[in-house]
Amino acid sequence: MDELPLHGIRVLDFSWIIAGPTSTRFLASMGAEVVKVGSARRPDPSTRGPAFQAYNQSKLYASLNISKPEGLELSKRLIAISDVVIENFAAGVIERLGLGYEVVRSANPDIIMVASSGTGHYGPHTDYVAYGSLLQHYTGWNSISGYPGRGPVTGGLWADPWVGMELAMVTVASLNNRTLTGQGQYVDFSMAEALSACLPEAVLDYQMNDRVKEPIGNQDDFYSPHGVFHCAGEDRWVAIAVTSYEEWMALCGVIGRPDLASDDNYADAEGRRQHNDKLEAAITDWTMQRSDREAMKLLQNAGVPSGPSQDILRVFQEPQLSETGYFSKVQARDGNTRYLPGLPWRFEGAQEPILTEAPVLGQHNEYVYGELLGLSAKDIDRLVEEEIIF
Amino acid sequence: MQRGLLPGVRVLDVGQGVSAPYCAKILAQMGAEVIKVEPIEGDSSRAMGPFPNDIPDTEKSGMFLALNANKFSVTLDLTSPGGAESFRKLAATADIVIQNPPPVSLEDLGLGYENLKDGNPGIILTSITPFGGRGPYKDFKATDLVLYHMSGHAHGVLGPVKNPDDDPPIRAGGYQAEFVGGMAAATATLMAIYGKRMTGKGSNIAISSFEAMVTQLISGLANSAWGRPAPPRDLAKVEEAAIGGMVGAIGGILPCNDGYVAISPREDDQWERWLIVMGNPTWSMDDRYSTRDARQKNSPSLWKLLSDWSVNYSKHEIARLGQAQRVPCFAVNTVLDLMSDEHLSHREFFVEMEHPKAGTLKYPGAAYKLSNSPLPLTARSAPLLGEHNSLIFGGLI
Repeated sequence: MDELPLHGIRVLDFSWIIAGPTSTRFLASMGAEVVKVGSARRPDPSTRGPAFQAYNQSKLYASLNISKPEGLELSKRLIAISDVVIENFAAGVIERLGLGYEVVRSANPDIIMVASSGTGHYGPHTDYVAYGSLLQHYTGWNSISGYPGRGPVTGGLWADPWVGMELAMVTVASLNNRTLTGQGQYVDFSMAEALSACLPEAVLDYQMNDRVKEPIGNQDDFYSPHGVFHCAGEDRWVAIAVTSYEEWMALCGVIGRPDLASDDNYADAEGRRQHNDKLEAAITDWTMQRSDREAMKLLQNAGVPSGPSQDILRVFQEPQLSETGYFSKVQARDGNTRYLPGLPWRFEGAQEPILTEAPVLGQHNEYVYGELLGLSAKDIDRLVEEEIIF
Repeated sequence: MQRGLLPGVRVLDVGQGVSAPYCAKILAQMGAEVIKVEPIEGDSSRAMGPFPNDIPDTEKSGMFLALNANKFSVTLDLTSPGGAESFRKLAATADIVIQNPPPVSLEDLGLGYENLKDGNPGIILTSITPFGGRGPYKDFKATDLVLYHMSGHAHGVLGPVKNPDDDPPIRAGGYQAEFVGGMAAATATLMAIYGKRMTGKGSNIAISSFEAMVTQLISGLANSAWGRPAPPRDLAKVEEAAIGGMVGAIGGILPCNDGYVAISPREDDQWERWLIVMGNPTWSMDDRYSTRDARQKNSPSLWKLLSDWSVNYSKHEIARLGQAQRVPCFAVNTVLDLMSDEHLSHREFFVEMEHPKAGTLKYPGAAYKLSNSPLPLTARSAPLLGEHNSLIFGGLI
């Protein structure tokens, strides 16, 4: 049978909370052996709650107290047999713990060390205390979202999962390079920059036109109609984006308004934007008569891009996801079958990714210390006793 | 020192718009040789803008320039037999082909995975579509707006609102769903090329931008798997009224005399230090604000007190004072603030490139610095339409 693409790679994972663990979940599911290390002394803050069960699928979990010298030594022995070390502590923390890149590299010269922090590992604000939700403000990411004329939006859980995927990307890119050159890498990753990199059109608009981009809600600079329209039921909306003349014609047909299709005022997006209020009323007259899903079906059958605006529970129940095998079915520790999120890619006709249940702290101590490092059972017992394997 | 991580990797970017060109952009800035295969009229993002003085110009679209720097451009009419043949020859020399149909579907043109594999057994084809080409929505169309709403993200952007029926959910600004599809594609493609180095085998990768967006909500989906209800949008239904929807920890934005600042002094020690920033106001002794739980419960009245104080200061002033006390707080920045940010400037985040038509502009760079392989972020500005036709076809055909 074919191997998964990252078969044979070992990742030593010091990361915690969301972004780091999300990235190593991607690596583990695609064949890497991910050894998460943590300590009961300072447990992963995300440990309680269902999300941990998803962030840490398919990993091994060893306990290790690196605040003790012997624990630190053990971590270096693990580094020596790993391909990748990943951490997402606040900047400076890993160095204070005694595992800065210089130390890590001396334990393993061709190691790839991926270090992620709020604002990166050098620069005047490198010590800034950060949460993902706040970085969305600092980076300008939230400044282009919201309704015009209102204050900034405050929600949206974006920074951590986005960074999680980008960390996996840069890790695998570095692995590719190592196969060519034999060379390791230190990757200084800034969560803030990952978000600011996603606003190119706003950055260029400012330079080209001296314009600081204002949020425009669901509207769009080019297309119209472009928004959500109220459907039957409380807080039910269908999103509709018309991106061509053909789609505009199709929309008019579906909502039974041939008069709009033949009205020159609505012939192009600019005209439709100018008559947005009337247009919205005309579409809403139709959408209010039906459920958001029915609206989607009728619109999509006519070739109009559309879909319901859903909360997370409705996403979880999405037939598009369940019928295409997106979810990973796991037997959870509580004895119940749970359907956890899948992966954002499919390799057609290839080996299925591995998505198993998340481990508990220390579950794989015996494998990691016994098999990988070759410690005797007696040694392991002593290290447990002395709160080094802890 | 060698430049980039992917020397010798050749990529054909058949994509248009945002998602596939963004995927190929990542590979280009990693050092791969990326050749854009554009239709005769050019990639649709050449019409997207923003444009200097708002005057549309094929060679001056901000979105195109940003997404296609460090690539080469050739033009081919893939619907003509000659164009398809040239593409087949080019694909025989490539490691990776990236597409995001519609409008260009390699399968429909007889240039799908099986066809490409004939001339290049180890080829990696990465296809980004709204719904992955499978399931009940297989043929449905979606845009950034539709993906943002369907995938559950839009419900969280605003935070709870007073009247959900008057205040619909919104998407985030820009093209975030398209970027997510592109980043998922780049990650998978890099895994595939790593696998190919080990086994010699290629891959046929299908990215559903919808699934990629859904996967971003991994924590929410896990909560659903454990039977938890969706966070309500109706403010009245939010049991523990955390300002701004950051349920479980206090945090949100405060008005300043020049904008806003975002703060989250959620832990007890952070709160104590935040009080120092505010000069230890007498109300802080009140029982309603003395514990983490109490602050959470009484956050609406607490936020009023914080706002009365913050409005007297500038956003950068509060961010500085707060961070000096190690309280998580940041100015709410616009792109203007961003481009003059001393930290980003010190890290050389923005990179400057000169383009023969659009002039010298600064572009967002990469979020990562590599110790041993500096990235070729400014190897060349975005190509003119068909700029490399003679270079590429001259050498090849």
